[in-house]
Amino acid sequence: MLPLKDKVALITGSSRGIGNAIARRCALSGADIVINYRKGGGSSQEQAERLCREIEETGRRAVMAQADIAVKDSVKKLFGEINEKFGRLDFLILNAAKAPFKPLEKLFERELRQLVETNYLGNIFCIQEALPLLEKTNGRIVFISSLGSRFYNPAYPLGSMKAAMESVVRDCAESLRDKKILVNAVCGGIVKTDSFKVLRQFWEHIDMLPEELFVEPDEIADTVVFLCSPESRGITGQTIVVDKGLSNAVCRTAVKK
Amino acid sequence: MSQNIITEEKVFEEMKKAVAETLRVDEGRIKPETSLIKDLGAESLDFLDINYRLEQAFGIKMARHFVLEHIEEMFGEGTAIDENGQLTDKAIQLLKIRFGDSAPEMASGMDMDEVPTLVTAQSMVRGVMDILDSLPNKCPKCGNASWRADNGVRVTCSSCGEAAAFSNGDDLIKEWLKKVQSEKSLF
Repeated sequence: MLPLKDKVALITGSSRGIGNAIARRCALSGADIVINYRKGGGSSQEQAERLCREIEETGRRAVMAQADIAVKDSVKKLFGEINEKFGRLDFLILNAAKAPFKPLEKLFERELRQLVETNYLGNIFCIQEALPLLEKTNGRIVFISSLGSRFYNPAYPLGSMKAAMESVVRDCAESLRDKKILVNAVCGGIVKTDSFKVLRQFWEHIDMLPEELFVEPDEIADTVVFLCSPESRGITGQTIVVDKGLSNAVCRTAVKK
Repeated sequence: MSQNIITEEKVFEEMKKAVAETLRVDEGRIKPETSLIKDLGAESLDFLDINYRLEQAFGIKMARHFVLEHIEEMFGEGTAIDENGQLTDKAIQLLKIRFGDSAPEMASGMDMDEVPTLVTAQSMVRGVMDILDSLPNKCPKCGNASWRADNGVRVTCSSCGEAAAFSNGDDLIKEWLKKVQSEKSLF
């Protein structure tokens, strides 16, 4: 039995990386997929097209929807398209993120605004616009967080936004309880995706982290599928850490030899 | 100093390899004047990938931040990009000094998001060459002045085997900015 059969999932920022893996896993679990990406005409769109074809080959429906979640009108249009094409939405997976890699104190005002616009406001715009659809299906919202929400990473201002969103998850879980919408987050450890290419430029020797402590995108994606499936019906307002035990080991590794 | 151990041709060859692998395009499509964004569809994450491949190949550190960011860090926010996200006259003047006058879109009022489209294979090769040219005359470890290139890409000392240490890309941009500022007092 496919746990997500006949359901529709939107994964924001799903052309690459973790979002891409979530889209695949949701499709394998039976869901039709809305692939969202921010920028048209470039390599993201190309990767989204590839993903779209691959999902369709598995017999599921997949549509591409270009939208910048930081722009409210763009988000409105996105959900208008979903309503038009599918007439429903069951799972809102908030995965998209965009941030400069610099220490917070060095961010210019426009970078700070962009940080908040995409990674905080953008996610909330999505939740607001998705609600009419999610109410009808008693849908689920899953936010993709990272260990940066609770631990220091060099030049990673995105961490503070992840922390804010984990708080939003707790908040919405309670306020959407009456609408029977479950809201949770998956907090990923260190994953070797495109973002890792950025991270390793600012975090010297991160490559030396033992291979077994790197998380596979599919390991995060499988947890997302779980949080969308009936088996997780008792969980809401939670952030599940998927980090191969990295955070559990932090205390020990912080001790210098 | 201007090193002559790794040739510009070799750098261009590695550049083509890095770009082709990152963007999954045919090397034949990459010419010196090719804009990575306009002609090949590269996005910001792709640049980091390309940079990383070049860093691994040559044992260097490419710049993490573009020249406009360095201007604002050095001279204050708003000096290069105005509140509408458009380039200031001074920023344009500076870009012309750095990249030459060839691009017609390089004019006051140019949108900051358009700037990365100016990056070509050749301008990236130039960036790598600038870093390689920061090679010190003598090996800091043994003091001898005899460098060689392994596989044509990795510079090491031929007497003690020490890997060459180059200035990083960001420091070179900062140095260049200081030099231009002291000559022209743009900001």
